[in-house]
Amino acid sequence: MMMSKTKLNKVPTDEYPQLNINIRVSYQQFELAINLPIPLKGITGIFGHSASGKSTLLRAIAGLEKTLIGDITLAGANVADNILVNTEQDHYLKPEARKIGLVFQNSRLFEHLSVLGNLEFSVKRCKNRQLDLNEVIELTELTTLLEHQVNQLSGGQQQRVALARAILAEPKLLLLDEPLSALDQHSKTQLLKMMLNIQKKLNLPMLYVSHSLDELQQVCDTLLVLAKGKVVNFGNIHQIIHQLNNFGDYTLIHQQTSLSLPIKQFNNGHGLAVLALNAQQDIYLTSDKAFENQTQLRCFILASDISIALTEPNNSSIVNHLFGIIKQISHRENKVLLTINCGSQEFFVTISAFSQQKLSLSSRQQVYLQFKASAVRTFIH
Amino acid sequence: MINSDLQALVTTLEMAALTTLILLIVGTPLAWYLAKMTSRFKVIIEAVVALPLVLPPTVLGFYLLIAFSPEHLPGQLWQQATGQQLAFSFSAIVIGSVLYSLPFVVQPLQKAFEQLGDSLLEAGALLGAGPIDRFFSIVLPLTKASFITAASLGFAHTVGEFGVILMIGGNIPGETRVLSIALFDHVEAFDYARAHLLAISLLIGSMVLLAAIYWLNLPKRSNSKNLSQVRSVK
Repeated sequence: MMMSKTKLNKVPTDEYPQLNINIRVSYQQFELAINLPIPLKGITGIFGHSASGKSTLLRAIAGLEKTLIGDITLAGANVADNILVNTEQDHYLKPEARKIGLVFQNSRLFEHLSVLGNLEFSVKRCKNRQLDLNEVIELTELTTLLEHQVNQLSGGQQQRVALARAILAEPKLLLLDEPLSALDQHSKTQLLKMMLNIQKKLNLPMLYVSHSLDELQQVCDTLLVLAKGKVVNFGNIHQIIHQLNNFGDYTLIHQQTSLSLPIKQFNNGHGLAVLALNAQQDIYLTSDKAFENQTQLRCFILASDISIALTEPNNSSIVNHLFGIIKQISHRENKVLLTINCGSQEFFVTISAFSQQKLSLSSRQQVYLQFKASAVRTFIH
Repeated sequence: MINSDLQALVTTLEMAALTTLILLIVGTPLAWYLAKMTSRFKVIIEAVVALPLVLPPTVLGFYLLIAFSPEHLPGQLWQQATGQQLAFSFSAIVIGSVLYSLPFVVQPLQKAFEQLGDSLLEAGALLGAGPIDRFFSIVLPLTKASFITAASLGFAHTVGEFGVILMIGGNIPGETRVLSIALFDHVEAFDYARAHLLAISLLIGSMVLLAAIYWLNLPKRSNSKNLSQVRSVK
């Protein structure tokens, strides 16, 4: 099981198409300067504060930023090299010729057309069609809504139409600009699952912009972090989240341990699922029907949800207690962030300075981490 | 109605219909350009377009008369191209009407295009629609009410025009003698009965047309914004 995880993370990037970006977009108060190749594998998350340049980056890729300087090339395995823009060569591919889809925060549906009319808008303009309209309608669960006017739909339904419409144009890359931010929790979960499903079924690479790390953690393999128009981090999502714990801007994320673990078994009588952390250690969490057809589960545990015990807490109601060795202790105001190794997995724990004083923890000390099953969070409930 | 009045009615309708058609063809790209324009010259073009709203028609008519005369370039070019004099012709009153009714077509369209914004056009582009395609598949259906408003206002205003036509068209039956001129003739000849007939016809015709525009704009879903356009133009 551990093998498969490592393998997943180390697939050579040249097997995937790649988006090579070297651009500068300047506004009066803001400049976006990105120089980065992005392997287009699965869903790549783009994360940052508002005004970090996330949307501007997507608009630049889509061809909607006219003031851009530099070049963007879509290159790689299955697609012929495709220069989207190169201002030095005075080359600028119009958005309608780029074959890049974009789902906006507000769905931007055509109000004069029905749901089906919106979908057909894409179909009519797509050359060499490969996708079956009905298949996409099923994937996005729009079967019963086809004849509706778009302004009668709920926010979640509208975004499903926008997603279906974007897919039907058969883009080589799909961009998602905060598509969930205006939706309720139920719709968010539904749409996230749909995005994952579509990504796998159609093998469509996606760049997904969000200010919610919880959403990104659930669907992205790779994370790009932007701040003030510049790339701060880029890489495997779990590793990037852990880097942000230590070095990041404190306001950017809740410190947490981000995991992707194989599901070992379901303890259905008690409503718990068991994840294999390593050969010796398991993690229990509250089970959910949605887990049953998965073999791997993404979850996170907030650093503030874990506590430390010096002896194994066998007489506690808290189900998870993991043995670990303190790797690092860093003080921040009246809190202490501990990095603790449990086997090869790093965990992040915050305790109060008061507790630290009481326990006087030190580096390389052996401790037990404890957290409730309900502290192991997933976004897809 | 007597024959000469009927002839004036036909001339009027021909002039107004042709003028409206030309206005839609010329006014749409102009309105589009103004709606998307960010340059500081925008206000100058907007002012020029709006000029007929405040300018006495005789001022416009006077300058057009000079321009259309064979002594000046536009008139000369016209004469070379067609072999006919431009001033005091049907073509002259159509050109005059186009200039005179321009704001009535451009302003509602410009407002509609501004309100529509870029977001749906961007969405359309990313689905593979080019600029012409986007205009016909997105802009036109969503601003239909404003096009109807613009065409109706342009038509109604052209029908009711007097000063410009008197200056550049004169009063040639079957060529430039339109209803408003015929009405003026009857009054000058103290033929109040025929004057009444024409006046009441114009009054009722205009009333019905305007009521139709307001009715078209009023009840439907989210089209109330177009009503304010009619108001702001008038």
